[in-house]
Amino acid sequence: MADAARVAGLRGRLAARVPERRHVVVTAMPVTAFLVLLAALAVASPALLETGSLLTLADSAAPLTVLAAGATVVVLCGGIDLSVAALASLASVLLASWVPALSGAAVPAVVAACAVAGAVQGLVHVAFRIPSFVVTLGGMTLWSAVALLASGAATVPMPDSTPTDWAFTRLGGLVPSAVLVALATVVALAALMRFTPLGRWVRAIGHAEPAARLAGLPIARVKVIAFALSGATAGLAGALLVARTFSGAPTLADSLLLPAVAAIVVGGTAITGGHGALWRTLVGAGIVTLLRVGLSYAGVDAAYESILYGVLIVGAVALTIDRSKLSIVK
Amino acid sequence: MIEVSGLRKAYPGVVALDGVSLQIRPHEVVGLAGENGAGKSTLLKALVGLVRPDSGTIRIRGREVRLRGVAQAATEGIGMVFQEQSLVPNLTAAENILLGCEGSAVRLGLYRWRRLRELAQAQLDKIGSRVDPMARTETLSFAERQMVEIAKVLAIEERTRAQPVVLLDEPTSVLEAEEIETLFGQIERLRKHASVVFVSHRLDEVLQVSDRVYVLRGGQVAGEVDPATAGAAGLHRMMIGAEATGSHYHDDLHRPPERSSVRLSVRGLCGEGFTDISFDLIRGEVVAVAGVHGSGREELCRALFGARAVTAGQVLIDGEAVSLTGPRRAVRAGLGYVPSERKVEGVVSAMSVADNMTLPYTRPQDVEEWIGRLRIKTPDRRTPIGSLSGGNQQKVVLARWLLTGSLRVLLLDHPTRGLDVGAKSEVYRLIRELAAAGVAVLLLADSLEECIALSDRVLVMKEGRVTVTLDTPPGAKPDPVDVVKEMV
Repeated sequence: MADAARVAGLRGRLAARVPERRHVVVTAMPVTAFLVLLAALAVASPALLETGSLLTLADSAAPLTVLAAGATVVVLCGGIDLSVAALASLASVLLASWVPALSGAAVPAVVAACAVAGAVQGLVHVAFRIPSFVVTLGGMTLWSAVALLASGAATVPMPDSTPTDWAFTRLGGLVPSAVLVALATVVALAALMRFTPLGRWVRAIGHAEPAARLAGLPIARVKVIAFALSGATAGLAGALLVARTFSGAPTLADSLLLPAVAAIVVGGTAITGGHGALWRTLVGAGIVTLLRVGLSYAGVDAAYESILYGVLIVGAVALTIDRSKLSIVK
Repeated sequence: MIEVSGLRKAYPGVVALDGVSLQIRPHEVVGLAGENGAGKSTLLKALVGLVRPDSGTIRIRGREVRLRGVAQAATEGIGMVFQEQSLVPNLTAAENILLGCEGSAVRLGLYRWRRLRELAQAQLDKIGSRVDPMARTETLSFAERQMVEIAKVLAIEERTRAQPVVLLDEPTSVLEAEEIETLFGQIERLRKHASVVFVSHRLDEVLQVSDRVYVLRGGQVAGEVDPATAGAAGLHRMMIGAEATGSHYHDDLHRPPERSSVRLSVRGLCGEGFTDISFDLIRGEVVAVAGVHGSGREELCRALFGARAVTAGQVLIDGEAVSLTGPRRAVRAGLGYVPSERKVEGVVSAMSVADNMTLPYTRPQDVEEWIGRLRIKTPDRRTPIGSLSGGNQQKVVLARWLLTGSLRVLLLDHPTRGLDVGAKSEVYRLIRELAAAGVAVLLLADSLEECIALSDRVLVMKEGRVTVTLDTPPGAKPDPVDVVKEMV
């Protein structure tokens, strides 16, 4: 008996110290892929390693990172938010049209409105027990339509760009403010996931919802909050885009949906929920951005980009999906 | 026919099969007995290729085989009737019987219905079943569907031209008494065509139908028994090992409950699966609910925790009405629930011991203290709970409800399922200590013995109602047979 206990204890300790091989792969792969891509690009074009061009790269990755960061929280819950890009487009239209009335308060107002939109999707998802991908697919078309109606299907110019200037400037003439916004978003969400009960609950729901329910967790509330966070970062991403284009447009961010999902899964967050982290999405967004830059550098037509995203998503999901949860994959 | 030797299968934290060797001979009915977690199911699954053993061999008719799935096992002549049935409900019985081996019943990709019917009828005739082969499976009773399953397994015979081996996993657990008699008749008929492996929790049944009985304990063959000479009591002793039951259940820690103060009061509770349930639990009392599968006791237990809808009735804790709208409300009211499906509903296996223990709470808790107090064997608090043994996982689930000190009523749904003897005894000790501290415990026991030994009272449920209440104080325990009489 004592022997058996000792063996079990030892086994437990081993399991704790030596992470399973798959885990190592999932952890090391995104970082390695990122570094290899960076090195390859640097070899092809040494000028890329200069501080200025690296910062420009980071700047171009910022809206995507912000967009994917909030959506990561939903994925950690075991759901998915397909509406983020459409919501960011709507945010851009709303921001451009609200600036005359609200000026400086327009950005917070848009972020709040998008958080509410996200929360509504979350409520529909939990109240009517509809899969999140269906709700947010519906949401995607709904927000697109609202954006089209609100903008009259045309670009809405910013009458005055001062309320968003902070989001497209270079601090000290060097560091792009959008990069700091993106980093702050990721760090804030990561801290929320790491240090608060909410973070623990999100992961518990993602890993094992039945167990989370019977432990007495407020499942519905947690999910609604996750969708609200996703909506809020979509709004913020929309604002970052407005800041650099000086206008809002009903399809401004639509092409970011696939890259955002790609950033989440390429970073190693499992689409089945539970496994994953915000820093992974940061790395994933880096990979997606480097690939895009690399492709255009190599002279590949931008039309091929989507093929790449498709392959990336399928490949990354194949590696990271938690098959113990799916006896039947549909 | 089949010779198994040195079969071993380990899962993280538990060894399911630990060097099992046994033989199944032609025209023989072999019984398998053992407690939950003794390795019966794993052994059966290894024999139909659903589990791949880590080491050891399976020889079929003298030839060593490596089974990779049910289909391959079928070509070797082994078929299993699953506990949870494996028929497709919207197909006819005939289609189900021949599913995957339609043979001449399909030509050019189309069913030849008359031929299909004939072939299926031939299988049903073997066991003398009067089930209509053209009936849709979902319209059949459970017992009829079981006959269809057996016929389906026998269809293997046509393909291998060898005598099949039929594995019956708990075939009687949801059958009525007369259906069980019919099944036993079928097993006698089967013997002419096949060898049978029969697994049941009910020892008298195992002894009645089997020519030989293997007793499994802790993943090993504890012994082989001749039903002609052995009784159920001897078999049971062999199953649980030489444990002195009094100390096993920690009778010394038992305190008489405080008669005067009611902790939990259930008034006319109705819901799907149970009707008009009323009872009281007093402080420090352990009340077990006994009942067969379908008696509604699991449903009742979940409903009390707010995890199932209630249509009428009221629940009071210490005189205050509890809202049964969800587990979170129940937890707030001082209820704790230990679900029977530990891996799915009890723990979040990818998360740490500490996270699992403190899951429902927003404030930090003293995890280390409870790891020590419950003697949870874990390298540290950050270890993923999935790498712990079942008993230690269960202690973490229990600790979850203990650590705030606000627990008033504990609902235990098969708390010792799949645990080894030592771990069981530790869970019993915990239950005793909790009761002594004034917690009222409602227990759905894993075995009848546990149900009687641990409880102060037993509520017997039948068809969704509490039919009898038996007092079971220490020193005046009823005979298990009397409890069974009330259950069926």
